[in-house]
Amino acid sequence: MIFTEYIKQAFDAISPDSLTPIRTEAMKAFEKLGVPSNRHEEWKYTPIKTKLPGSLRLSEDHSSLVKEDAVLPPILFSDGPEQRLVFINGFFSAEHSNITKQSGLIIGSFKDNLSEHRDIVLKYYNQATDTIKENFAALNTAFAQDGAFIYVYKNTQITSPVYIHHIFTSDSADVFTQSRNLIVAEQGSNVSIVEDFKNLTGEKFYNHVSEVFIGQNAEVNYVTLQIETKNSTSVNYVEARLEKDARYHITTVTFDGKMVRNNVNAYMDGENALATLNGLFLCDGDMHVDNHILVDHRVPNCNSNQVYKGVLNGESTGVFNGKIFVQKDAQKTNAYQSSKAILLSDEASMNSKPQLEIFADDVKCSHGAAIGQVSKNELFYLKARGIDEVSAKGILTYAFANWVINEIAIPEIRESLDGKLKEKLRIEF
Amino acid sequence: MFLLFRRGLGRGDMLEIKNLHAKIGDKEILKGLSLIVRAGEVHAIMGPNGTGKSTLASIVAGKEDYEVTAGEILFNGKDILEMSADERAREGVFLAFQYPVEIPGVSTTNFMKAALNAKRKHHGLEPMAAKEFLALMNEKRQLVELDKSYLSRSINEGFSGGEKKRNEIFQMAMLDPALAILDETDSGLDIDALRIVADGVNKLRTKNNAFLVITHYQRLLNYIVPDYVHIMYDGRIVKTGDKNLALKMEEKGYDWIKEELSAG
Repeated sequence: MIFTEYIKQAFDAISPDSLTPIRTEAMKAFEKLGVPSNRHEEWKYTPIKTKLPGSLRLSEDHSSLVKEDAVLPPILFSDGPEQRLVFINGFFSAEHSNITKQSGLIIGSFKDNLSEHRDIVLKYYNQATDTIKENFAALNTAFAQDGAFIYVYKNTQITSPVYIHHIFTSDSADVFTQSRNLIVAEQGSNVSIVEDFKNLTGEKFYNHVSEVFIGQNAEVNYVTLQIETKNSTSVNYVEARLEKDARYHITTVTFDGKMVRNNVNAYMDGENALATLNGLFLCDGDMHVDNHILVDHRVPNCNSNQVYKGVLNGESTGVFNGKIFVQKDAQKTNAYQSSKAILLSDEASMNSKPQLEIFADDVKCSHGAAIGQVSKNELFYLKARGIDEVSAKGILTYAFANWVINEIAIPEIRESLDGKLKEKLRIEF
Repeated sequence: MFLLFRRGLGRGDMLEIKNLHAKIGDKEILKGLSLIVRAGEVHAIMGPNGTGKSTLASIVAGKEDYEVTAGEILFNGKDILEMSADERAREGVFLAFQYPVEIPGVSTTNFMKAALNAKRKHHGLEPMAAKEFLALMNEKRQLVELDKSYLSRSINEGFSGGEKKRNEIFQMAMLDPALAILDETDSGLDIDALRIVADGVNKLRTKNNAFLVITHYQRLLNYIVPDYVHIMYDGRIVKTGDKNLALKMEEKGYDWIKEELSAG
């Protein structure tokens, strides 16, 4: 059965709930949009159509199939996270999760909270995504039934990070997961979120959307980890809306996956907001990683920084597309963008496209893109101290990449990721 | 007898450069340079700009930008032109860079750990235990009065010229090379930094190692006293003497050499 036919049938099988009107609209949009081919400007270098598995099947609740030890996150805190939400093939697994009651915080599955906190959900749901133009956001909105729901009340400081852990597994067929997070940080609150994806067996396709609403003077730190996601193709959206004086820091780390498309979008809705969007990707073999970044400056006096770094080996390919919009009213905007990639092999390639569209006249915007090899001078310096070429290249690659990790505000994650990076690059110190 | 024999070998030629010709692109830089350095000796190489001094240092250390068209370089009897830069370093060649490279993201501590253990592995030794390594770092950094905090900072990042040169000598002390080449280590140093660097070098001198000190100025040689001074000009060593030759150069400049050469 071809994909679109299958999708239609599957859609009709979803039982109605309070999101049905939104779903129906999104489904209509998706039917119009379809799966993008590489003639689509935003998908030029990412032939996602070719990666849709032939025997695709939308995921069902498989939590009973998964044993406790299999869901251990690749990055563990010393004491284990206080708040951990585990999703198996996109569905919440209460038995694998760990929720600690805390005042000022609602945390749990999106599905459960759709009935428990319907008004809050409906107030925010689908307010940060573009389901008219974005093919996979529309598809996700049509199908998503579960995901993380995190609501931080006014002036509440959540000190330890909330962990969202996605596990993919399958009993037989390929699984196509549609999951959805809704995260709201009310005025003056503060929360850190670590979201991690892990594929246990088989081929996977996950299409995930996170909507993040950051209230006035609130702060959200967000880390996305795609480090144990082999054989998976993914489209991931993190869409954030920032109110006045809001601070948002997101880091996307990709070490694994077959074809990875990350859309990280920040909408500056209130003045004096700050968004930092960083990314690090390490590709090998025939991996493909595409980071599509958008910062939309809609109001004056906001700051945004993007730093993306990639290391490509084997026959891997990378894409960076960084858009900065500075709308007519967004005077005194400060926007910075940097995209750097190191190619470690002759066969690896990188496509980098900075895209600045500035409609205001009193702004500071800058961007830089560099694609190259490790520096010859640096390499000679290391070799002149007795370090062999392969190790020296590893050390220089580590030096290039670890900047992104060092910028992460969550110390435990920083340490664990540093270890993972060293392991990947076979660094011995 | 056996000991004497070994000692006899050890006192032999550590570095032997024979009729070395080298070019970069189409430009011939070294035009038949010969030099012998024995263990326990300090050799200074002086000469005007563009005469090939730094090229010589780079070629001995194994920089690949140059093409050796004739001649050979033997290090402890082994042909090192066949070895990569890292192999030469593990065999005991050290180059103190004229322009030390900044590498953000790697601390000097980790750099030295990797370098030292690479050398140890080459000589069939286990990696150094963490405690022993830290003690060694602590001892060696004091030789060049390098503050502890510099070791955890990224290599040379934001260091002043003097700090970079002190870091070079610190690395040399850590790796304990048989042959150390100091490529204009004195350039850009004020008198205090020069004294610190020179004191560090002097403390590292033994009868088993050798130094090749490349410099423009006689000043450094007041502190690191050479056994031989070579004057390099146009890709060759044209004159060799003792430390008094350096004083003469300082006094008279290089013109008299040029005159002497054209007269000859």
